[in-house]
Amino acid sequence: MEEKIISKENLLKLCSDLLKNNVDIVTPGEKGYIKIKNESEISLNSKSKHTKASFKEYVFPKSEPIIYYKKNQSDVEIIEPKVEEKTTVIFGAKPCDVRSISILSKIFNWDYKDEFFNVRSRNTVLIGMMCEYADEFCFCTSVNLSPTSSDGSDVFLVPHDENTFGVKIVTEKGADLLKPYENYLSAGNSEKTKAIEASVKQPEKVFDAEKVRQWISGNFENDYWNSIGKMCLGCAQCAFVCPVCHCFDIVDEDYNYYEGRRMKNWDGCQFDMFTKHASGHNPRDDQSKRYRQRISHKFKYYPDKFEEILCTGCGRCSRGCPVTIDIKGIVTEINELAIK
Amino acid sequence: MDDIKTVAKELLTSGKVNAVIGYIRYGNDKRTKPFIAQKPEDVDKFVINNFILNNLAVYLTRKEVSKLGKVAVIAKGCDAKAITALIQENQIKKEDIHVIGINCNGVTKDFDIDFNSENIAGKCLNCDVRTPKLCDSLVGALADIPSGEDLKLKMIRGVEAKNAEERWDYFEDEFNKCIKCYACRQACPLCYCEQCIVDKSIPRWIESSATKRGNFSWNLIRAFHLAGRCIGCNECERACPMDIPLSLLNRKMAMIAKDEFNYDAGTDMNAPTLVGSYDLKDNEDFIE
Repeated sequence: MEEKIISKENLLKLCSDLLKNNVDIVTPGEKGYIKIKNESEISLNSKSKHTKASFKEYVFPKSEPIIYYKKNQSDVEIIEPKVEEKTTVIFGAKPCDVRSISILSKIFNWDYKDEFFNVRSRNTVLIGMMCEYADEFCFCTSVNLSPTSSDGSDVFLVPHDENTFGVKIVTEKGADLLKPYENYLSAGNSEKTKAIEASVKQPEKVFDAEKVRQWISGNFENDYWNSIGKMCLGCAQCAFVCPVCHCFDIVDEDYNYYEGRRMKNWDGCQFDMFTKHASGHNPRDDQSKRYRQRISHKFKYYPDKFEEILCTGCGRCSRGCPVTIDIKGIVTEINELAIK
Repeated sequence: MDDIKTVAKELLTSGKVNAVIGYIRYGNDKRTKPFIAQKPEDVDKFVINNFILNNLAVYLTRKEVSKLGKVAVIAKGCDAKAITALIQENQIKKEDIHVIGINCNGVTKDFDIDFNSENIAGKCLNCDVRTPKLCDSLVGALADIPSGEDLKLKMIRGVEAKNAEERWDYFEDEFNKCIKCYACRQACPLCYCEQCIVDKSIPRWIESSATKRGNFSWNLIRAFHLAGRCIGCNECERACPMDIPLSLLNRKMAMIAKDEFNYDAGTDMNAPTLVGSYDLKDNEDFIE
């Protein structure tokens, strides 16, 4: 992996040039990821807390039209919207956020190839940054990630000091993005980068994901699920702020009798409506069953199918949960049940 | 004054209730989470502090909890107002629950922050129910609480000062942030409908999309449905992951209910509800 160094001044110039060249830059803001208008808004703080929501919305919008339709006399005219091919740079995202795109790519390219996701992710360049924030809800190291992981990034930044950043050029896409701006970069110092990475505090590894997967396989009816189901209020805060939750609902919206559009909207498995059949029957008729689904999908079904854990350990779902249902605590408890 | 653990333990050991809904410390010392104690020893974990933010009345109408049988619930004054409103609206029966009221010394506006004059929840600043009006037991002692500035009232005055078009733009920007996670609805003790109007699809009244139209309809309908009912616990706003200032609408409507009809939601469990009753003397000059 090629490594360079960039000064803060040149990094800002780089962002300014990208903006001038019609590239969208998305960066962690005070409240969430924001599309910036000026390079001064860029986030260079590796010690900041996670934003409340991930940047998922920039590759998988909360609501988007997938078909427009018009009824004519005898037939229906279908107009398919095209997603704009425009480069978006996600700048300064934490390793736990950056990793989400490759995890999501698996499901969005499994049987059906989701063009809406693919066009956006193809046009997205991920500039990750080493993370120096860890609180009691962080557990990236338990899901095979780390605060210094460049896995998933196209370019990865390691702050050497306030005004200097180590630049790891991880993928060809990253190299292509930086190529026109080579004069902003100087020779790398990988020794220093390594030393800094080694000094970063790692969240403690609290569970063995494989043991958890096996326990879930044999404990579909375990009473443990009821203890969580009682407390969960059944909103989708957890799913919607999650970088890798990807369920959506498809609904038709009529403008009038003749015209309308078909929408693809985020959906969440903690809603009782999520699995309610037209007949009125609901196979997940209790919050415990719905919460079991959430954990099983993340730590069993997705790993079974795609060999990826559907969780990056960012802890957003837990920090923001109105009743502090903590996924790290729950999976740690499952790990303990598995060892027993 | 008895302490919470003694009271809760006595209720469970005597068999007066099957479960006690309370708070336990979680994660750090500036956070708690709701917990349902079903065994006497479970109550040893209960805490009362300035971080008991949740309104536990929300659990009283959930079927996962009501199947536990008779429950006791720990309630701050504002939470007890929600319980009162639920009784008024025939959602729960007073005899089915035991309210453990607490003398409340204020809470923070969110978890993980210090309790001080800057971070005290807005609802605590002019609270007139620090000792709950509705309770079967009472625990804790009142102490001085920090004073602070009522920033939300300031924001309400700011919105009132705008003209209609500016107000529309303001709320459009705020509602644009909505992702339709319905955390506001789920955290609200008075949003107990078995099927929410936003989930009705035959016919569909409110678009489920998180678009301008869908978001406007949802947030306005929810506000209307809480008119004269919201007791101001502000859990919707705290639960919102997108920081939409939902209390501006809810509190403004509570202010109107007070000014126009002299009605305070959740103060008298035997009183008829505001929207469920009428008086010939009601002000009707707003009908044109």
